[in-house]
Amino acid sequence: MNTNEESHVDRSTIDEIISRHKGKPGELLTTMEEIQEASEFKYLDMQSMDYLSSQTKVPLSQIYSVATFYSFFNLKPQGKHSIIVCRGTACHTKGSKVLLDDMSSLPGCKEALDAGETSFTTEDRLITVKTVACFGQCALAPVVAVEGVIYSNVTSEQMKKILQNLQEDNKDENIRLC
Amino acid sequence: MENKLINITIDGRTTQVNDGVTILEASLGAGIRIPSLCYLKDVSHNASCAICVVEVKGARSLVRSCVTAVREGMEIVTHSPSINQARKMNLELILANHPKECLICERNGNCELQDLSANLGISETPFPQTKPSEKIDDTSPSLVRNPDKCILCGRCIAVCADVQTVYAIDFAGRGLRSKVGTYQNRGLGNVACTNCGQCALVCPTAAIVEKDDTEEVFNDIYNSDKIVVVQTAPAIRVGIGEAMGMAEGALVTGKMVASLRKLGFDKVFDTQFTADLTIMEEGYELINRIKTGGTLPMVTSCSPGWIKFIEHFFPKSLQHLSTCKSPQQMFGAVAKTYYAQKLNIDPRKLVVVSIMPCTAKKFECRRPEMNSAFHYWKDKLNLADRDNFYDVDYVLTTRELAKMFKKTGIDFSVLKEEEFDHPLGISTGAGVIFGATGGVMEAAVRTAYEVITGKPLPKIDLNVVRGFEGIKEAELDLDGTKIKVAVAHSLKNARTLLEQIEEGKSPYAFIEVMTCPGGCLGGGGQAIPTTWAIRQKRADSLYKEDTLHTIRKSHENPAIKAIYADFLNEPLGHTSHELLHTSYTERGIY
Repeated sequence: MNTNEESHVDRSTIDEIISRHKGKPGELLTTMEEIQEASEFKYLDMQSMDYLSSQTKVPLSQIYSVATFYSFFNLKPQGKHSIIVCRGTACHTKGSKVLLDDMSSLPGCKEALDAGETSFTTEDRLITVKTVACFGQCALAPVVAVEGVIYSNVTSEQMKKILQNLQEDNKDENIRLC
Repeated sequence: MENKLINITIDGRTTQVNDGVTILEASLGAGIRIPSLCYLKDVSHNASCAICVVEVKGARSLVRSCVTAVREGMEIVTHSPSINQARKMNLELILANHPKECLICERNGNCELQDLSANLGISETPFPQTKPSEKIDDTSPSLVRNPDKCILCGRCIAVCADVQTVYAIDFAGRGLRSKVGTYQNRGLGNVACTNCGQCALVCPTAAIVEKDDTEEVFNDIYNSDKIVVVQTAPAIRVGIGEAMGMAEGALVTGKMVASLRKLGFDKVFDTQFTADLTIMEEGYELINRIKTGGTLPMVTSCSPGWIKFIEHFFPKSLQHLSTCKSPQQMFGAVAKTYYAQKLNIDPRKLVVVSIMPCTAKKFECRRPEMNSAFHYWKDKLNLADRDNFYDVDYVLTTRELAKMFKKTGIDFSVLKEEEFDHPLGISTGAGVIFGATGGVMEAAVRTAYEVITGKPLPKIDLNVVRGFEGIKEAELDLDGTKIKVAVAHSLKNARTLLEQIEEGKSPYAFIEVMTCPGGCLGGGGQAIPTTWAIRQKRADSLYKEDTLHTIRKSHENPAIKAIYADFLNEPLGHTSHELLHTSYTERGIY
């Protein structure tokens, strides 16, 4: 976890984010969102949360409450690439579980997700796999978001190809499948 | 609030109620106690459980009576087939994820979920458990949280945030993984929690309970090599009766003493003795600070939740705290030095057990600096560091003591009254009122006035600092010297006074702070339930006991005079400094 300790958003960045949203509605949410975006590994590290709390006087328990409520927030360092698999009812009936099982080529991933985790990151921090309850794209089920881009009617073969491309850090634009 | 009356109909009968009250409150007046679970008057109205639903004419669905205010002409139905069905199903859904092991539960017999299940006639639990099991949080020396027994009513969060402004806990996670959590799941022992235990006091189930130390105490009682002495805080005598099934606020001092003897304690002493001692030390400290230009206002230090609160949230203001230990800790230090010496026994054989209305006292007795007796004896008995012992060995709450009485079959209510043992059981009316908010202030004034002026106090009752107003203030005329004082209970009110101090705007010379609402009589270790009405009865009993004492001023306590003559020499003297005073830790929020 050494990298974890090293990586945190610096205080001046947090100060700047806080001051920009001060007094606006929903300031905590926006502030937390931007701190996460500013983080190298796209997560809310402990030091940043401690600092945010000390500067805004929002209690740590409340910051943690917000951070754990929204699946958008990450409390662990995220991989360079992200795959989000929809686990909504429509996607499930169209085989999204099979797509998750395809992740078994990533060591430890299937075990973590089967154990109820909603997020898994490879040890080399290359890929993060997450699940969400619904993307709201049920007509296109099963749906997967890769690097924020939605892919629809994804098949197992396509999933494996996506994974391979990401693992090889392949910037193949032909990956676009729909 | 203006008492404008409006007309509503409850179950077909028209009635007049105050405008603005909730349906639940209005129904109470009409003789209907609508079943509820998460609602707790003055503390929580999360409307999370959906048990208190009623029908309101014109409403699209059932409404939650705990959060819905009455309106002119409202027509309410409090029970009907559809209401009964809804309540039953909502409760069954809650029960799906609650363990059904009532027989072996801490709160068996005093559980709101159990009562409600009985009242609603639940005979089966048709829904399967869906929530994954969570780890028990036993990181705190005071409190244990079992998330599996939590029904997510939110009362603990509300009391921690709104009454105490501590914010140690909040909802964490979402959906099936929702729970009451601490920051980063660190556990109560590793976050800025004051151990006040108000969360345990309001919990409807056994999701938060005090750490149980009764077995350890039984072991020492049954160990013939140990001399086990017990001290009882003032508030126990107005709380333990309730916990043993007697009337609310029942004053049971004599029965409590008799029962403690029956339980096997070798000596039954009174924390009120060291409450009187606290008044001597704290009174002289205050006088000293006023005369020598020391840090003012001086704030009382009896309440360990408050101590940890200021250490966490206002570490820069610690010099305002009186350096006096709390009466519990003074007792431990005096018992294992003065008293052990008097009996000519090895202090290591002496076990000091405290009965406290308080969960924070469990933390306090394990503070590393609370080993003054060990230091006192270290050279005299040639002790090594590994022989270290604490001044107070165990702290039990009112509820834990009730458990011990019940376990041993002690027939509390029929026992004949007995007196405390001498000398550490001799106390005054001033010691008694330590159990109520304002009591320490009143006791201090009774002594400080006479010490400063050399004249007898014209009027002994200081009514201005009595009662349950959040912050009370008074101006006292000490024979020409005028000082302003303030009394706060609940940490929210303490915070207000502390902020005033940090802004340099505090007009006071002396401030009393008690962590819990109402003072110790409303402590986190007291009998459940504790409501404002019950707190009032307990306070009435304490002030009654005060008047029953022939001596009502700490400095007139003969045992106090004796301990100064034989052992301590003088208030704030060298021995006092070693045994009765302490220092504090800057903690910050983490």
